[in-house]
Amino acid sequence: MIEAMNLSKRYGDVVAVDGVSFSVGRGEVVGFLGPNGAGKTTTMRMLTGFLPPTDGTARICGHDIFEEPLEARRAVGYLPEMPPLYPEMTVTSYVDYVARIKDVPRRERRDKVGRALERCGLADVSRRVIGTLSKGYRQRVGLAQAIVHEPPVLILDEPTIGLDPIQIGEIRQLIADLAGGDGDSRHTVILSTHILPEVEAICRRVVMIRDGRKTVDAPLAELIRDGHGLEELFARQVSHDAAQDVAEGRA
Amino acid sequence: MKRVPTVAWRELRSLFVSPVAYVLMSLFAVLAGLFFILGVAAFNAWVLQLQQYQAFDQLEKINLSDHLVANYYDSIGVVLLFLVPGITMGLFAAEKTNGTQELLLTSPLTIWDVVLGKFAAGAAFIGILVAMVAAFPGLLFVYGDPELGKTLTGLLGLLLVGWTYVAIGAFASSVTRSQVVSFLIAFVLLLCLLLLPAISDLGVLGGAGGLGDALKWVSTGEHLQQMMQGLVDTSDLAYFAVVIGSFLLLTKASVESVRWR
Repeated sequence: MIEAMNLSKRYGDVVAVDGVSFSVGRGEVVGFLGPNGAGKTTTMRMLTGFLPPTDGTARICGHDIFEEPLEARRAVGYLPEMPPLYPEMTVTSYVDYVARIKDVPRRERRDKVGRALERCGLADVSRRVIGTLSKGYRQRVGLAQAIVHEPPVLILDEPTIGLDPIQIGEIRQLIADLAGGDGDSRHTVILSTHILPEVEAICRRVVMIRDGRKTVDAPLAELIRDGHGLEELFARQVSHDAAQDVAEGRA
Repeated sequence: MKRVPTVAWRELRSLFVSPVAYVLMSLFAVLAGLFFILGVAAFNAWVLQLQQYQAFDQLEKINLSDHLVANYYDSIGVVLLFLVPGITMGLFAAEKTNGTQELLLTSPLTIWDVVLGKFAAGAAFIGILVAMVAAFPGLLFVYGDPELGKTLTGLLGLLLVGWTYVAIGAFASSVTRSQVVSFLIAFVLLLCLLLLPAISDLGVLGGAGGLGDALKWVSTGEHLQQMMQGLVDTSDLAYFAVVIGSFLLLTKASVESVRWR
């Protein structure tokens, strides 16, 4: 469903993402890990079509992001790190607007908007103005926006950041539900996070990047099989790199 | 292109749920009324003066269209110069601060859908303001007989001037994240446009056919004058189309530029 092929992004001399390739199949939930500034957000922005890669390309459901940008974008639901909300709109009118610009046909719009609100637990606040909602609710509106057109691919940038433990549990359950289900209705999910238990709770595969390069790409079960937790692996990655930095005189 | 109305409608609704639209409309109503009253008073005083001096040959020449309505439209053009940046300042700057720019650019919308949608919203708002203006010369038809043609072409001119200002304001909003900065850029650009004929009139840039004339052509004022005389000339319409089109192109390039960085 998602194929990243040698994705690279350079800003002048700075290389933010350097030749990252991976592919994700239908119904898979992939945890995208890495320290802050590793290039997670940049990679996600390239997959969603917000930023063009300087090198390489990606295919979403078979649509190349350069050759068929609109088709590729139509197939993606994207929750950026900061939920893209209009504070002056009501929840329903906002989600309805997103459904319109995502080309949901007029006949299905009402149903899909209702379903997205229901799934994200927003039915009670549907008439509220977004600016008056708590952070947890705003995050959910962001998620409702990402799923309203029922895209085959979901790209979520730190979906549980700033939520309380109960809300985190609810969002995780929602993500698990989206990826579950049967047949064609299963969503493919990539989510970035640095909360490691989150990965253990919902992801089946882990892609780790550091300094814009992919360092790990393996099923979660394999990574934690030898008794070491993900935390240890992550720490080892970062400290290994730190040691390498010292050796190379970068630190 | 079919999504242009969707973008425009959302933009308009947001304008009208925020205080901005109402503040601007109230301010505009007050200023439009004030300038009208002042205009009528000045016209009256002038007519009385001419009668006292028994200058009948001059009294023959003055009329409501050229000596009241035209001046009034001129003032409204200046009022628009102050108000339009207030309408347009949020068009793109707010999308950046809300983070919704990321939503728009990852949706199956083209950048033209976004730019034209936002321009259409601003243009519709100008339509409302011009409709408010129309009420005042409308009153004159009750008590006098200004020329209908000139009154209408003048309104059309104001509408086109307003749309030009919106296109320039939209561009100003697309180059910054800050609404205040956006307002100031738009204001300065519009002020320059207003002052161009004054620079040209200094005469330092050469006479007819020189740079001075070119500056005059670039300014909106000259074209508005033509339309207030009742002349709807293709070259004036072309002027507005060219300026609006150029600034929308610039806006499109500016919105797209996040992708080049």
